[in-house]
Amino acid sequence: MYGGGNVFETMKATALADEDPILLAAFEARIDRGEKIEPTDWMPQLYRKQLIRMIEQHAHSEIIGSLPEGTWITRAPGFKRKLALMAKVQDEVGHAQLLYSAAETLGKPREEMITDLINGKSKYSNIFNYPAFTWADSCFISWLVDAGAIVNQIANSKGSYGPYCRALERICAEESFHLKYGHHCVIHLATGTKTQREMMQAAVNRWWAPMMHFFGPSDKISVHSEILMKWKVKMASNDECRQQFLDMYVPKIWELGLTVPDENLKKNTVTGEWEFTEPDWEEFKRVINGDGPCNAERIAVRRTAEERGRWVREALLAPKAKYVAPLA
Amino acid sequence: MILKSLDPRVTRLSIELSPDESSVAKDGLDQFETYEAFVQSKEGKPFEHAGPVHAPNEEMAFLFAKEQYSRRGMFCNAICVIKTENIKVSEYTDNGQDIYNLVTDHPSGNENESFEIFHLMKRGKQHKHEGSVLAKDFDDAMAMAKKEFQSDKPVFNVWIVKSAHIMASEDEDKDIWDTLKEKQYREATDYKAADKIKAFKENQA
Ligand SMILES: [Fe+2]
Ligand SMILES: [Fe+2]
Repeated sequence: MYGGGNVFETMKATALADEDPILLAAFEARIDRGEKIEPTDWMPQLYRKQLIRMIEQHAHSEIIGSLPEGTWITRAPGFKRKLALMAKVQDEVGHAQLLYSAAETLGKPREEMITDLINGKSKYSNIFNYPAFTWADSCFISWLVDAGAIVNQIANSKGSYGPYCRALERICAEESFHLKYGHHCVIHLATGTKTQREMMQAAVNRWWAPMMHFFGPSDKISVHSEILMKWKVKMASNDECRQQFLDMYVPKIWELGLTVPDENLKKNTVTGEWEFTEPDWEEFKRVINGDGPCNAERIAVRRTAEERGRWVREALLAPKAKYVAPLA
Repeated sequence: MILKSLDPRVTRLSIELSPDESSVAKDGLDQFETYEAFVQSKEGKPFEHAGPVHAPNEEMAFLFAKEQYSRRGMFCNAICVIKTENIKVSEYTDNGQDIYNLVTDHPSGNENESFEIFHLMKRGKQHKHEGSVLAKDFDDAMAMAKKEFQSDKPVFNVWIVKSAHIMASEDEDKDIWDTLKEKQYREATDYKAADKIKAFKENQA
């Protein structure tokens, strides 16, 4: 899984002034031809910086996202669900490893990214700052948060940076299992007893607002990123991703007899666009800046794993070993 | 303040919520070495670069690579790992130019060490094993590779590694990937539910 609505740095108009215009033109021509950029190629500083930021946020989201789901492994109903959820959580942590490696090829060591995460310097997907109260919450995450992630990841896998695209192709292949598993879990509850249906509906009600936030602020109010679109760093706007998600999944939610807690949600048959109540972007901002129900817990748990695992790493560290960036 | 979580196991960790600064800061990076992992998808197919892993030594790199790049065993026949710093990377060419055209040395004929050659044929793809050569050093191996492997298809980039620096899975251990039957739950195909939805809808109608 993964959060959309990446937080990009605000860019100064002068950001490109120091770049060699000839190299820059060749770089842009390569992207226009649809070729991938590889780690050893020349690239503008701004491209490197924004990509590191985006891939790093994506990696952190996989790690932090595995916490609310991981919590449900021992309490999942039955052996088969436990096995499946364990496999899914393992996949998510594996996704983080792939993504950290892709970011490392741009020059930021993995340990530095982890340090920035546990010090609260890096962002991750905002949706994981909310708690998973019941098994149905875990099912919602597996199906619909992953579905949202897939919309983002498929778009990004067509981007310009080779190592990121290759990581995303591997990730997307595994996401199809997550999506089917999650859907299977939700179907089971939604078509089950009255109590099961109510539990599933309560989870949809709890998670709808964070789900709408998931793709990031509406294009009307988000930072302009034309240059990132041109360089194929950002492949689809926040609103495009949100629309695609609604189009694919709202009918699937409705067909299970579940409702969505937004009376304004409907597809405009003329424009083909989904209409909905404007999400509360102030709440989004508040939570992403640290004041959500689980921000402190998520970081504390990750930090504790790092601290309490230190002796293992130290015991294994060979004195002469030296870190190098991965090749591709 | 001690963290109280919805998950009793997290609460039992007794995590102090406002740690002093020193416990957060890491003095220096304690990152492990980097290895590149390669996967052979089927018998007879070339090994292809899958991606990197970090590990404290070769054996653990091998185990991590197996978990990371072959845990769905159906696409794997063998894997190998190579420490990244042992891979010699050629220049990258552009505009369809063959990297071997930039090689001017002639093979020395001094064949005292075995080297493995990996080719990258297209930007955005991954390196594939092409074959091995006997040579005296890396430059000599590149010259030998030109002699052995240059064709009319341009090669965009070459990786060369001493054969002794590769750790590969053993043929006799191949059954480690034969886990498909017990691990169906890892596959999307194991979660069919169309009938259930259909029955539900009919019931509602
Ligand atoms: Fe996922
Ligand atoms: Fe994921």
